[in-house]
Amino acid sequence: MNQNLEFKLQAWLDGELSGSEAQAIEREVAADADVARLAAELRTVKSAMAGNETARVVPETREFYWSKIQRQIERESAQPAPARRMAVWRHWLSPLAGLAGLACILILAIKPGTPATFDEISSTGEGMEAVTFHDQSAGMTVVWLADSEREQPQIQSPAPKTEEGGSGVEVE
Amino acid sequence: MPGLGADLRIEARLIWGANDEKETVKYEPLDAGLSDKLHRTFKWKNYFEITNKNASIPLNQTGELKMSDACTIRVKNLGGSRVEVSCIGHGKQVHQGAYTLTPPQWLVLGGNDSSNTAWFIGLKAGDKNAPEPAKPVHTN
Repeated sequence: MNQNLEFKLQAWLDGELSGSEAQAIEREVAADADVARLAAELRTVKSAMAGNETARVVPETREFYWSKIQRQIERESAQPAPARRMAVWRHWLSPLAGLAGLACILILAIKPGTPATFDEISSTGEGMEAVTFHDQSAGMTVVWLADSEREQPQIQSPAPKTEEGGSGVEVE
Repeated sequence: MPGLGADLRIEARLIWGANDEKETVKYEPLDAGLSDKLHRTFKWKNYFEITNKNASIPLNQTGELKMSDACTIRVKNLGGSRVEVSCIGHGKQVHQGAYTLTPPQWLVLGGNDSSNTAWFIGLKAGDKNAPEPAKPVHTN
């Protein structure tokens, strides 16, 4: 099945095709089992998303929220384009800036007595795995410790699946 | 942000995540601030606070925070908001890591507990303008 047909199928399910195009797709669905299967799958996904998508509540009214986005776009569009002369300078200075940055990194790397400033360095006990992830918007870094053979982080899943504790620490 | 030579004030919480109803659990529900953050990432229904400890850790010193009989956290103040965190469960070190603790960011360590529940340890560097907490036992 070609991609164009897949797009047409999606458009058909979304009711975006004209009468003749829709009839042509209907014939394809009736004649081809693969097309019919894909159509059924897309229908399922569509209904699942329509019925179960999480509603996001914004702190402002809908109109004010979108007007903020619109104002930001307008502000950025209104900024003057960089002058041609600046563009020429930038063209020549960009590689030099890259070289300067590389030089700084090398100097810092070979400077004696300067401790490395890695954001995170970690080690986990034998048979354990640590998965680290950042939630920027929540202002939280999570280090999930799990038995390397049995467990997976319980993120965005309905409930933990393991019956027994497996990460070496208990609350009591 | 604490300066390089300043004591690090730290807040540590032991949290239990469960699908149990609040009425059936003997622990207090976790405050909304951290609970909301956990709810955004994890799908346990409720989060309960087991222990809440504050400590002030001098530069290059390690504070030991006993969060429960089974769980202890060692936090070494490396300076400049950097900490080395060791998580000890049943006397055995299960994790050690170096992290940056910048208020009001939380560092949360977690794992599965028994019966479809989870434990979490939340660590946050305190506001330097907050009252001085009791100093913990220093191990070195």
